[in-house]
Amino acid sequence: MMMPVRTSILAAAAGLLMAANAAAGNLVVNDKITQQLPLDISGSFWIDNPVGDIEIVGIDKPGVSVTAVKTVIAADHASLKEGREQTVISFEGDKSVRLIRTLLPVVHTGDWNSSVAYTIRVPRTVHVRVAAKIARNIHIVNIRGNVTVKSFTGLIRLDDVNGASIVDTVNGKVVYKYTQRPTVNAQIQAVNADIDVHLPPDSNINWIADTLRGDVLTNLPVRAEFQGSVFRGTVNAPGGPIVSTQTLVGNVRLLGNGLDLQKLRSLRQVAISEPQPRERAMLLATPSRRIQLPIAGGAFDFATSVGDVSVGEVRGPARIQTAAGEIELGLVYGDCTVGSGGGPLDLGDIMGTLNAHTGAGDVQVRSAKEGGRISTDGGMIRLLYTSGPTTLESGGGDIIVRQAAGPINAETKSGDITITADPNQKSQKMVARTGQGNIILNLHPRFAADIDATVLTADSQANAIHSDFPGLQIERERAGSKTRIHATGKLNGGGERIELSAEDGDIHITTVTLAPVTVVPPLP
Amino acid sequence: MSECDFMRESMPLLLTESLDPVRREQAHSHIERCPTCGEEWNGYRESWRMLGELPEVEVPPAVKERFLASIGEEAPAATVVSFWRRTSVRWMARAAAVVVLVGGSYYAGHRGAPLQLEPTPATINSVAPAVRYSIAESRVIPATAVSPTIEGRPNIHNISFIDTNPSDDDIGVSFDITSHVTVTGRPTDKSMVRLLRYVLENEDRLSSSRSRTIDWVRATYSRPGNADPEIAEALGNVLRNDAHEGVRIKAAETLQRMGATAASDTREALIHALKNDPNPAVRIKAVEALANLAQSGATLDPATVETLRQKAMQSDENVYVRVKAAEALSAVHP
Repeated sequence: MMMPVRTSILAAAAGLLMAANAAAGNLVVNDKITQQLPLDISGSFWIDNPVGDIEIVGIDKPGVSVTAVKTVIAADHASLKEGREQTVISFEGDKSVRLIRTLLPVVHTGDWNSSVAYTIRVPRTVHVRVAAKIARNIHIVNIRGNVTVKSFTGLIRLDDVNGASIVDTVNGKVVYKYTQRPTVNAQIQAVNADIDVHLPPDSNINWIADTLRGDVLTNLPVRAEFQGSVFRGTVNAPGGPIVSTQTLVGNVRLLGNGLDLQKLRSLRQVAISEPQPRERAMLLATPSRRIQLPIAGGAFDFATSVGDVSVGEVRGPARIQTAAGEIELGLVYGDCTVGSGGGPLDLGDIMGTLNAHTGAGDVQVRSAKEGGRISTDGGMIRLLYTSGPTTLESGGGDIIVRQAAGPINAETKSGDITITADPNQKSQKMVARTGQGNIILNLHPRFAADIDATVLTADSQANAIHSDFPGLQIERERAGSKTRIHATGKLNGGGERIELSAEDGDIHITTVTLAPVTVVPPLP
Repeated sequence: MSECDFMRESMPLLLTESLDPVRREQAHSHIERCPTCGEEWNGYRESWRMLGELPEVEVPPAVKERFLASIGEEAPAATVVSFWRRTSVRWMARAAAVVVLVGGSYYAGHRGAPLQLEPTPATINSVAPAVRYSIAESRVIPATAVSPTIEGRPNIHNISFIDTNPSDDDIGVSFDITSHVTVTGRPTDKSMVRLLRYVLENEDRLSSSRSRTIDWVRATYSRPGNADPEIAEALGNVLRNDAHEGVRIKAAETLQRMGATAASDTREALIHALKNDPNPAVRIKAVEALANLAQSGATLDPATVETLRQKAMQSDENVYVRVKAAEALSAVHP
């Protein structure tokens, strides 16, 4: 009774597909090929199919049975003909190693695309190796030999595969179902895919799960700990095979066959349930969260492994840490401590002391009322306004301070430094050092300072220190293969010390008259 | 031995540029912050300068004999000599020689008879035509009048950029060559493109020039209609080769803003940066550019996809770079 129903559903689906293709003006043709090939029960079976589904089923007799359906979709008859001719199925190898390949041209002129869907029966003791790019479904069933699958996108299902296995994919999902307790190692590696492993509840395995943005969940008894983003533990008794599950941004689930899915628990939540110091290792163990909040009513304290943070206003101190992600804050009433293992920081008006660091990426700050410390291991720093002592450090990248109303200490390994002093400042201590790059210091014409500027340059002819202020004494001397240019002098009779040092660049001390920026204090 | 003593011993070596770079830097730093040593150093330099001005005369034989005799008497008999002391002894001997030389010269200059030169008659063999030099010559040349082919490797200095008229698109590039030259024209003029490309790619030039040039290029060539494949190619070369990390960051960012990432050469430069650049900010800019390219629906070649895949899985890479690589892969259509 069921068969006619299923057939009619498939027929309807095929009809719909054809109608859709017809409406789109496409021509579709399916060519079916069947082939019987010899293969020893201890042999290997390889298949390389760039586009199309693959099903491999292990059976209890020698030889390979292949059914391939080649589908070509084309805009016109000429393209259809070309597609049919240029989509080639190649049967290669011998009874020890059998290889099936779908050959497609790297580029083709006609307006067509094709795929091949394979259904294959092999001796269940053989070793299987699958290479694919786009496969909606790769399904491998009942294999005792080793299995290797490498794909790019789609669902990969391994049912009752008991040999050593390696699965490597980028997008999609991996579902691995053991019907018997695992006895050999399995390694599943993905980038964006979720990974589900089902196994008998009494299995003994060593489980490794690693995900940066996703979660690690199980309903089995596990003893384990996080080491950074990597979870290492044992299921039931130790000493079993290693099941390694690694995905960058997907979830990892280890499920007991027949156990209640409602009992799934997040191991990351368990790991951080007790108060822990916020070391980097623990930060990576915390669940990945992305937060977007218009207003935090008081103190805001947030930590995540991987995730972006965006808060419009924090009415109190802010303390934010992410192992990787962008941090965007509008207005912070109190002190502000933000740290990202990598990712840009975009901070607005910080009324308290600012302490901001990113492992990599640009940092932009609108204003730091009390100054503070801003650093990146690599990237540009742009600070529009500061009225407190401020230290800026970059492992490589420009540093720009648009209006400095407080002492500045800026240092970059490589990049330009541009500092504009607040026009209301009569004198201010400043230090700027760049390992490779230029320094531009913009000062009000009445700014008073003791200047000590040094350029070390390979260009002996370079006129490397320029000043709009009169009275600087410039000395030039050889320093090994380079030339050291040293300028000292007093601006407007002298004042706070300004120390500038640039290598392989030049220094400009210029006069500017700017209207001062006013930073509006927050309403009480 | 105090730091000041050590530095003073190093001063003769510093004077003759014989110190290794590390010690040279240490010596200069110390001299800059220590007023006493600074004074000492100024004295040394003044003596050295005066030595160059003094006439060369023979040391009186009596002085020479006394000096040689004193060295002979004080020569150490020990067979093992401390490594550090050797330098100081050698330089003290040299310093003593300088003192003797200066003293001898002074003695000879004041006690000896004044030097008399016999006048010699002058003859004129030929007369060259008078040369007229102009001071501070500056020329403005339209880009259309300049050949797009740059011959040789001209030495360009003091490059600056001018927007003479903000109401039009014309730009000006000023630089010193044999005279001060300003080339003006549209950003798309081939000569202007070649000139900027030369400044960007010429590794002999200062990185400060390239840094400013990239700022200018970013502002100018990011505008619609101004993007130029030669500029993109030059930026790709800067991204691959420049030793200046700040410049490489700007190059990657400019390439992204110019929308030039679709070109295969540019893409290769980004992949190279993503794979090899030691600065994480450069790698972030590169992976973001590739991610934007993938998300725009462009088809990425297998090498790019494989690089992104490797980066996503590289456990020692910055996590943000890995996540961005994963995001790019999620949008890829292989």
